[in-house]
Amino acid sequence: MDKKQLKLLNELMEIGFSLVETNLYLDTHPTDERALRLHNTLSAQYQELEMMYTDLYGPLKATSMSQFPWRYIEEPWPWDIEYCGCNY
Amino acid sequence: MDNNMHNGNMPLSPYSKPGVELAEGYFPFQVMGKVFKPKEALCKGTLFPELYKPYKVGK
Repeated sequence: MDKKQLKLLNELMEIGFSLVETNLYLDTHPTDERALRLHNTLSAQYQELEMMYTDLYGPLKATSMSQFPWRYIEEPWPWDIEYCGCNY
Repeated sequence: MDNNMHNGNMPLSPYSKPGVELAEGYFPFQVMGKVFKPKEALCKGTLFPELYKPYKVGK
Protein backbone atom coordinates (compact mmCIF):
# COMPACT_ATOMS: atom_id res chain seq x y z
CA MET A 1 0.00 0.00 0.00
CA ASP A 2 1.52 3.32 -1.03
CA LYS A 3 2.49 5.85 1.63
CA LYS A 4 -0.12 8.42 0.66
CA GLN A 5 -2.95 5.87 0.89
CA LEU A 6 -1.71 4.67 4.27
CA LYS A 7 -1.49 8.26 5.55
CA LEU A 8 -5.07 8.97 4.43
CA LEU A 9 -6.29 5.73 5.98
CA ASN A 10 -4.56 6.60 9.24
CA GLU A 11 -6.18 10.03 9.33
CA LEU A 12 -9.58 8.41 8.73
CA MET A 13 -8.98 6.06 11.66
CA GLU A 14 -7.80 8.89 13.93
CA ILE A 15 -10.81 11.11 13.16
CA GLY A 16 -13.16 8.13 13.15
CA PHE A 17 -12.03 7.18 16.66
CA SER A 18 -12.35 10.77 17.89
CA LEU A 19 -15.91 10.80 16.53
CA VAL A 20 -16.71 7.67 18.56
CA GLU A 21 -15.49 9.56 21.61
CA THR A 22 -17.46 12.76 20.93
CA ASN A 23 -20.51 10.62 20.16
CA LEU A 24 -20.30 8.78 23.48
CA TYR A 25 -19.68 12.03 25.39
CA LEU A 26 -22.62 13.77 23.69
CA ASP A 27 -24.92 10.86 24.53
CA THR A 28 -24.61 11.87 28.18
CA HIS A 29 -23.98 15.58 27.58
CA PRO A 30 -26.37 16.54 24.75
CA THR A 31 -26.33 20.24 25.70
CA ASP A 32 -22.51 20.59 25.69
CA GLU A 33 -22.27 23.00 22.77
CA ARG A 34 -18.49 22.91 22.59
CA ALA A 35 -18.50 19.13 22.32
CA LEU A 36 -21.13 19.28 19.58
CA ARG A 37 -19.11 21.85 17.64
CA LEU A 38 -16.08 19.58 17.90
CA HIS A 39 -18.13 16.59 16.77
CA ASN A 40 -19.49 18.44 13.74
CA THR A 41 -16.03 19.73 12.79
CA LEU A 42 -14.59 16.21 12.96
CA SER A 43 -17.57 14.83 11.05
CA ALA A 44 -17.06 17.30 8.19
CA GLN A 45 -13.36 16.42 8.07
CA TYR A 46 -14.18 12.71 8.04
CA GLN A 47 -16.60 13.03 5.15
CA GLU A 48 -14.08 15.05 3.14
CA LEU A 49 -11.30 12.52 3.76
CA GLU A 50 -13.61 9.62 2.92
CA MET A 51 -14.57 11.22 -0.39
CA MET A 52 -10.89 11.87 -1.19
CA TYR A 53 -9.99 8.27 -0.31
CA THR A 54 -12.83 6.82 -2.36
CA ASP A 55 -11.93 8.90 -5.43
CA LEU A 56 -8.28 7.86 -5.25
CA TYR A 57 -8.37 4.31 -3.96
CA GLY A 58 -11.89 3.03 -4.40
CA PRO A 59 -14.58 2.30 -1.81
CA LEU A 60 -13.52 2.57 1.82
CA LYS A 61 -16.57 0.64 2.94
CA ALA A 62 -18.93 -1.71 1.15
CA THR A 63 -21.50 1.10 1.23
CA SER A 64 -19.16 3.48 -0.63
CA MET A 65 -19.49 4.08 -4.37
CA SER A 66 -17.03 2.38 -6.72
CA GLN A 67 -15.60 2.96 -10.18
CA PHE A 68 -15.90 0.15 -12.71
CA PRO A 69 -15.12 -2.66 -12.15
CA TRP A 70 -16.14 -3.12 -8.49
CA ARG A 71 -13.06 -2.10 -6.55
CA TYR A 72 -14.09 -3.17 -3.04
CA ILE A 73 -12.41 -6.54 -3.50
CA GLU A 74 -9.01 -5.05 -4.28
CA GLU A 75 -6.05 -5.77 -2.09
CA PRO A 76 -4.88 -5.09 0.58
CA TRP A 77 -7.52 -6.11 3.09
CA PRO A 78 -7.53 -4.22 6.41
CA TRP A 79 -5.85 -7.07 8.28
CA ASP A 80 -3.07 -7.26 5.70
CA ILE A 81 -2.01 -3.63 6.14
CA GLU A 82 1.16 -2.69 8.03
CA TYR A 83 -0.12 0.33 9.92
CA CYS A 84 2.45 2.86 11.16
CA GLY A 85 2.75 2.68 14.93
CA CYS A 86 1.80 5.27 17.53
CA ASN A 87 3.76 8.49 17.34
CA TYR A 88 2.00 11.75 17.96
CA MET B 1 -26.70 -24.20 59.01
CA ASP B 2 -24.18 -22.60 56.77
CA ASN B 3 -22.49 -19.98 58.95
CA ASN B 4 -22.63 -17.57 56.09
CA MET B 5 -26.45 -17.34 56.32
CA HIS B 6 -27.43 -13.88 57.62
CA ASN B 7 -30.81 -14.17 59.50
CA GLY B 8 -32.64 -15.43 56.37
CA ASN B 9 -31.36 -12.74 53.94
CA MET B 10 -29.32 -13.54 50.90
CA PRO B 11 -26.28 -15.52 52.08
CA LEU B 12 -23.31 -13.19 52.59
CA SER B 13 -20.31 -13.72 50.40
CA PRO B 14 -17.52 -15.24 52.45
CA TYR B 15 -15.67 -11.93 52.47
CA SER B 16 -18.22 -9.44 53.87
CA LYS B 17 -19.29 -8.89 57.46
CA PRO B 18 -22.93 -8.34 58.48
CA GLY B 19 -24.04 -4.72 58.06
CA VAL B 20 -21.07 -3.78 55.83
CA GLU B 21 -22.06 -2.55 52.32
CA LEU B 22 -20.29 -4.45 49.52
CA ALA B 23 -19.49 -1.40 47.41
CA GLU B 24 -21.02 1.82 46.17
CA GLY B 25 -19.95 3.18 42.80
CA TYR B 26 -19.23 6.94 42.60
CA PHE B 27 -17.86 9.08 39.82
CA PRO B 28 -18.09 12.83 39.24
CA PHE B 29 -19.99 14.03 36.16
CA GLN B 30 -17.40 14.61 33.42
CA VAL B 31 -17.07 18.07 31.94
CA MET B 32 -15.13 18.27 28.66
CA GLY B 33 -12.04 20.44 28.99
CA LYS B 34 -8.91 20.00 26.93
CA VAL B 35 -9.03 17.21 24.33
CA PHE B 36 -6.25 15.27 22.61
CA LYS B 37 -5.60 15.78 18.90
CA PRO B 38 -7.10 12.87 16.88
CA LYS B 39 -3.72 11.19 16.30
CA GLU B 40 -2.88 11.23 20.00
CA ALA B 41 -6.45 10.18 20.94
CA LEU B 42 -6.24 7.06 18.78
CA CYS B 43 -2.86 6.13 20.28
CA LYS B 44 -3.97 6.71 23.87
CA GLY B 45 -7.37 5.16 23.42
CA THR B 46 -9.29 8.23 24.61
CA LEU B 47 -9.99 11.78 23.52
CA PHE B 48 -10.01 13.00 27.12
CA PRO B 49 -6.75 13.59 29.10
CA GLU B 50 -8.68 13.17 32.35
CA LEU B 51 -9.56 9.58 31.36
CA TYR B 52 -6.07 8.55 30.25
CA LYS B 53 -4.81 6.37 33.11
CA PRO B 54 -2.38 3.72 31.83
CA TYR B 55 -1.30 1.09 34.38
CA LYS B 56 2.31 1.76 35.35
CA VAL B 57 4.27 -1.42 36.12
CA GLY B 58 5.70 -1.43 39.63
CA LYS B 59 4.27 2.01 40.52
